[in-house]
Amino acid sequence: MPTFESSERLKEILGGFFEYLTADEMMRKKLLDSKMILKFSYAEPPLAITIDLTGDSPVFTYDDAAKKAEVEMSMKADTAHRFWFGKVNLVVALARREMVAKGPIPKILKLLPIIKPAYNMYPKYLQEKGFASYLIP
Amino acid sequence: MPQAFFQFHCPTKIISCPGIAREFTAELEALGLTKVLIVTDKMLTELKVIDPVLEGLQNAGVQVKGIYKDVPPNSELKAVKRCADEAARLGVDGFVAIGGGSVLDTAKGAAILFTHGGDLVRDYSGAETLPGPLKPIVAIPTTAGTGSEVTRAAVILDEDTHTKLSFVDRHLAPALAVLDPELTVGLPPKLTAATAMDALTHAIESFTSVQANPFSESMCAKAIPLIRQNILKAVLHGEDIDARGELLTAATMAGIAFDHAMVGVVHGMAHATGGLVGVHHGTANSIFLPWGMEYNLPVCADKYAEIANLLGVKTAGLSGEAAARKGIEAILRLREELYQACGLAFRLREVGVAENQLDAIAEGAVNDGTSFYNPRDVVKEDVLEAVKKAY
Repeated sequence: MPTFESSERLKEILGGFFEYLTADEMMRKKLLDSKMILKFSYAEPPLAITIDLTGDSPVFTYDDAAKKAEVEMSMKADTAHRFWFGKVNLVVALARREMVAKGPIPKILKLLPIIKPAYNMYPKYLQEKGFASYLIP
Repeated sequence: MPQAFFQFHCPTKIISCPGIAREFTAELEALGLTKVLIVTDKMLTELKVIDPVLEGLQNAGVQVKGIYKDVPPNSELKAVKRCADEAARLGVDGFVAIGGGSVLDTAKGAAILFTHGGDLVRDYSGAETLPGPLKPIVAIPTTAGTGSEVTRAAVILDEDTHTKLSFVDRHLAPALAVLDPELTVGLPPKLTAATAMDALTHAIESFTSVQANPFSESMCAKAIPLIRQNILKAVLHGEDIDARGELLTAATMAGIAFDHAMVGVVHGMAHATGGLVGVHHGTANSIFLPWGMEYNLPVCADKYAEIANLLGVKTAGLSGEAAARKGIEAILRLREELYQACGLAFRLREVGVAENQLDAIAEGAVNDGTSFYNPRDVVKEDVLEAVKKAY
């Protein structure tokens, strides 16, 4: 059974996490330095989150078919959930086809050290926002 | 220490023997190929390097429907598209790629478009994006270096944006690799040296990569001594089929290794240099190899000590770090020998790099995707020191 019961719930939790993440000044600056438009396409349940990092501040849109992303990462929502706990090795996930990455791979890999601190922020965020039932051991 | 999870998957059948390009009927029959497009370049066509393969295909009763020979020195999108269009026009059922890395990568890109249609950049650039298997590719390398005959990757230049696009997918691995050292005997000494140093760099960097696993390491452990023992023989005596064959085997093994473990900061610096001044990739790797090893020495002395042994250096009684340094010294000596033998450059200043470009090379190495796999964090200030030494 998928971790997230509905697309709405997924949007609330993961979408909320991206906004929480970019509220951190250091993280926001590093992500904005990438000047990319990132799209996360989730399955089970379906949802697409686009993060536009090309301007002065991040812009989030949901199921946005119009905005063209430079990098698109596709995966099950469960994989994304585990990823933000630091429990998914991106390179291994790509090799096992748990994730599909469209776009410039070097740029995707370059993001990894930047987002590393987020692995500690995700459980903290879930606790703070009342999503403790989504914590995994 | 190997990582907790690893996988090893080499779907390419490899056959090897001097002269085998003239006769590989059984393998072609197994693939069900009856009508093929040859992908190669003008030089190989003019030098008749492809002729034994044409003979081999004829022996097997395979129709050569066409020869696409307009592959540029670096595989480019437009060439890939034209090659795919040609395959569609001729109604072939597979590709036979004869050449170096650019030729093989062009065939891989063309096979994607020919099999699945669509737009190469929009639909397939990235990792694991292909919807299914490709029409078969038979890869016949004419250099012992890139390893593309067995890798699941292709690098294709977008000539409009001047960016190199990566394609990584299990379906990109050729169905068959035909290793015939006779096809490499015409390779000039300097190019023989540069491509073999490229293969040695693949083997050394994948041996120490954070993604290394016992299977990829075993490939490196065989490839490194094979290259060391045969590189000078092949450079000095181009007709030495045994040496050519050993180099070809080693380059393919190193290709399998880096297809799994990837490469590190040496490639990062070489990619950045290639982007700035267009230096041959193997030459750039050769220039940076000892300095990239020295950069990583603090975190992988034990592995470099193993490499020293694989290079034939006597390390008995030495500490891990002292043995590792002997390994780096062995690479420095090898480059001097290659310089004496064929003039292979070993300093950046010899290949058109200006001193004011060193900073950009260090910056490029930090931003290169390979930095993710390097055993030591790739930090600009420290990499710049390595780049300066290479200058």
